[in-house]
Amino acid sequence: MTTRTLLNLITWSLVFVTLQVLLFRNLALFHYGFCFVYVATVLMLPFDMGLITAMFIGFGAGLLVDVFYNTPGMHAAATVLVAYLRPFAIRLLMPPRGYEERNEPYISEMGLPWVLTYTALLVLVHHLAVFFLEAANWSLWLPTLAKVGVSTLFTTVVITLLQVFRRS
Amino acid sequence: MDQLFAFIARQRAFILFVALEVLSLWLFFKYNNYPSAVYFNSANYYAGRLMQVQAAATQYMNLGRVNAGLAEENARLHAQLAQLRSQQLTSLNYKADSAVANRFHTLVAKVINNSTSLSNNFLTIDKGTADGVRPGMGVISATGVVGKVKVCSEHFSVLTSVLHSENMVSSKIQRNGEIASAKWDGVSPDLINLLYLSRYKSVKLGDTVVTSDLNSVFPGGVPVGYVRQLKPSADGAFWDIKLRLATDFPNLSYVYVVDNLLKTEQDSLEAEAKK
Repeated sequence: MTTRTLLNLITWSLVFVTLQVLLFRNLALFHYGFCFVYVATVLMLPFDMGLITAMFIGFGAGLLVDVFYNTPGMHAAATVLVAYLRPFAIRLLMPPRGYEERNEPYISEMGLPWVLTYTALLVLVHHLAVFFLEAANWSLWLPTLAKVGVSTLFTTVVITLLQVFRRS
Repeated sequence: MDQLFAFIARQRAFILFVALEVLSLWLFFKYNNYPSAVYFNSANYYAGRLMQVQAAATQYMNLGRVNAGLAEENARLHAQLAQLRSQQLTSLNYKADSAVANRFHTLVAKVINNSTSLSNNFLTIDKGTADGVRPGMGVISATGVVGKVKVCSEHFSVLTSVLHSENMVSSKIQRNGEIASAKWDGVSPDLINLLYLSRYKSVKLGDTVVTSDLNSVFPGGVPVGYVRQLKPSADGAFWDIKLRLATDFPNLSYVYVVDNLLKTEQDSLEAEAKK
């Protein structure tokens, strides 16, 4: 990994967390659609990024977001889970011809359908963890599932749009 | 021993994963039960400062609503004043001790962080221990109840809002004084349930529900909500009541922290009586 890629990753991590804390924290569509755009700090990591580093990045980003949401540990737990499951998702979504060397999870390299599936899958994992931890009981499972569904759609769209923006 | 180290080396990613998850969940559940960790929430100095700046930048957008709320409060205070004046002439032979009558002191604070869409909602205000705010105090707005102080740092406090599964507000119907409890069910930030009102007690659509005098957190008579839906419960013993909340939570900006000067005295006396 070159210094330039590293700087790029750090800058965008900061952008995602700042967006989350200052903008998306105050935004809820119809009380059901939330956007946790900061998950992109983990999703955008290159494929050859070590699992351990990825988990630490996820933990840091999650904990930082938690401070502002008054939910210490909740986002950290969900984001570490996403970081841990990411290699499985990447293996699951492997194209027939396999990955080429130095591939990154970007539209320019993997195509839009692949990026959408990859993002939606991991965002779904994250949102399931966050909303069920947050509800802390099963009696509200139906509204919670509705929140998970709507928010997954919302977050996936925003993260993908931001990626288009980032490349240009 | 070598095998053990080899195992750890092979599984180090999984072990780290478990360790980080345990740490996160421990933080999460510990904070939910014992509100002592001031570092990992928005009562933290830096998080508080940042949100203060953000609130300062966005507060102008809902000035209209704030004004409307204050005007409404003024009107209600005027009405109360008139009522008190007339009561003085005709009242019973009851006169509250001046220490009891003046036991509630209020402090104005600004809301700098506010959530309404989670299952358990919190607010952060810009007053803390340095201003005399302590955990357990009640917080009201110009239009109704808001919540209870949960943790304080020097300059900030975090409240559990009425929109929190732990909060239950002892309430009464203003018209006839029937006692019930208001508790949020976690669904809509505009509606709250009124529980334990017997089917044989009178209640009508549109009735005002206020805090009762049977609690030491809020002063009596602060609006909780207005009866919006009404039907007998499944077992027929109670009413199923939904109130429209008096406080407009999504647009809250200034609140009053209520300090009950005699709370310690009342609580310790009641604790002694129970021995």
